[in-house]
Amino acid sequence: MDEEYDAIVLGTGLKECILSGMLSVSGKKVLHIDRNKYYGGESASITPLDELFTRFNLDAPGEKYGRGRDWNVDLIPKFLMANGSLVKLLIHTGVTRYLEFKSIEGSYVYKGGKIAKVPVDQKEALASDLMGMFEKRRFRNFLIYVQDFREDDPKTWKDFDPTKSNMQALYDKFGLDRNTQDFTGHALALFRDDDYLNDPAVNTIRRIKLYSDSLARYGKSPYLYPMYGLGELPQGFARLSAIYGGTYMLDKPIDEIVLGEGGKVIGVRSGNEVAKCKQVYCDPSYVPDKVRKKGQVIRCICLIDHPIPNTKDALSTQIIIPQKQVGRKSDIYVSLVSYTHQVAAKGWFIGMVSTTVETDNPENEIKPGLDLLGPITQKFVSVSDYYEPVDKGLESHIFISESYDATTHFETTCLDVLDIFKRGTGEEFDFSKIKHELGDEEQ
Amino acid sequence: MATTPRGGGTAQRPNGASQNKICQFKLVLLGESAVGKSSLVLRFVKGQFHEYQESTIGAAFLTQTLCIDDTAVKFEIWDTAGQERYHSLAPMYYRGAQAAIVVYDIQNQDSFQRAKTWVKELQRQASPNIVIALAGNKADLSNSRVVEYEEAKQYAEENGLLFMETSAKTAMNVNDIFLAIAKKLPKNDGAGNQGSGQGRRLAEVEQNRQTNNCCK
Repeated sequence: MDEEYDAIVLGTGLKECILSGMLSVSGKKVLHIDRNKYYGGESASITPLDELFTRFNLDAPGEKYGRGRDWNVDLIPKFLMANGSLVKLLIHTGVTRYLEFKSIEGSYVYKGGKIAKVPVDQKEALASDLMGMFEKRRFRNFLIYVQDFREDDPKTWKDFDPTKSNMQALYDKFGLDRNTQDFTGHALALFRDDDYLNDPAVNTIRRIKLYSDSLARYGKSPYLYPMYGLGELPQGFARLSAIYGGTYMLDKPIDEIVLGEGGKVIGVRSGNEVAKCKQVYCDPSYVPDKVRKKGQVIRCICLIDHPIPNTKDALSTQIIIPQKQVGRKSDIYVSLVSYTHQVAAKGWFIGMVSTTVETDNPENEIKPGLDLLGPITQKFVSVSDYYEPVDKGLESHIFISESYDATTHFETTCLDVLDIFKRGTGEEFDFSKIKHELGDEEQ
Repeated sequence: MATTPRGGGTAQRPNGASQNKICQFKLVLLGESAVGKSSLVLRFVKGQFHEYQESTIGAAFLTQTLCIDDTAVKFEIWDTAGQERYHSLAPMYYRGAQAAIVVYDIQNQDSFQRAKTWVKELQRQASPNIVIALAGNKADLSNSRVVEYEEAKQYAEENGLLFMETSAKTAMNVNDIFLAIAKKLPKNDGAGNQGSGQGRRLAEVEQNRQTNNCCK
């Protein structure tokens, strides 16, 4: 440990592992430390099942749930958009070679106490029971507009300037009613609240395109999920970093981030050892005095022995409950994965309900989501604060990631990572630095 | 490579003849730092040896194919990338491995003791059917030997491991140990598929989709 590094990364959550990989690939000498003896931090998948019960101060469950080692339970639920930034990062870095994925089978949206499949193409729009007959036609016209839309070709904008006019204006142009706006904004464009209505329409168009391009890519839904759980993702990027020379230490407590002149970081101390460095990258838990609370997220992990009712027995599902449907400011997300992803013992499912906390009684807030799951065998509820750094780290050279938010996918995760990389190195990440042939060597 | 199915399986000809069956297996290397893990792989895959091999070889994994009778056995060989040094190998490393070579240096007693710990770790973490080989490397330096051949052989027999002393430098027993593993791996239909989680690699998913589209 007593060496000098370009960068020391603290915590092996997904963001830190991606950063570590990108820094190593860029030729930096990296030391990557975690205080825990396992990879993943908050983005770990917990195994065996007893470990999850222990974590929530519950007694070990016994035989009921099959073999404990067959379980890998995510603490934070998210899916990958098949055409999204994380998939691009995985492919460009070659980390995808360590992973296997499955498509999520169903994508649903909640309306009036029931769930319905999210319609994404014209055929589905016309068949959907989310809308009446005339509304279906209007929605179909809207979808065609989005599909034909090219940012670089104003002719496809059809007398509407989406860079200047807001999304509400675009909805109004097509005469879409509130319900249709609701599922378009929340289940297709995946906005967490309604602020987007006042932003330029082009942002929403991009996101709907991401959804439909993702869907077009692999089939039943736009979402992918890694076999053995999300905890595989940080491990994959950690391996990338190691292959490019990164040094890994787990189970290593961090006692101090050592500052030098002008408050600039000069090293990291563990016990009597000090590793020198020019920069530190870390998650909020390593620097409690340099982050502020931004809000709270409630997440409820549910072990269940059946698929979600009314999803055609899908072995994996996402359901979005748009805020207005249940009188809230932010959406409620429901996700389901199962034994088919090697995250649960045969016959078992893991449901997860999460949202941004708005009241003093967060458990009551997620009730509409829990009600969709049917009988639940075991619940694990956590309410966690989420933090953002108080500064951009440009003076201290300590670059801090934001906690994982309530969104159901990794787009904000990747944005944060790319932004931190740019702040830390002063440049955008250059994907061409990855030597693909290294991993592809055939004899 | 990126478009090859992880699980492998058999490549049957359209007429149903099962000639040239291809089985793909994930093989992981384990052992203390500097016992010659990477050197063994480089010797096996490329026929090269470097006296001052850098501590990591910078590859995600290397592949090499051996032929046994009518079967091509393709190894996807994972090196530790140095993550063994501070006991920070990720569970992903063992995941789905169907074979492992645990390496020690015949000049270093500690590395042999450490190899025994790795074997225990594999028996605990890896799939129950994993084929494990023990390699006493640097056999060309037998003048400074401290781990006796018989001692290691007896340990291997007691634990059901394949065992050979190897030298990446002279190539002694390098191909042989991989060949012995290949012979011991199951090659019936569906073999080379057990470690797979039955998911798909991303690049492959894309290819499948194209295939599906052709059929529509």
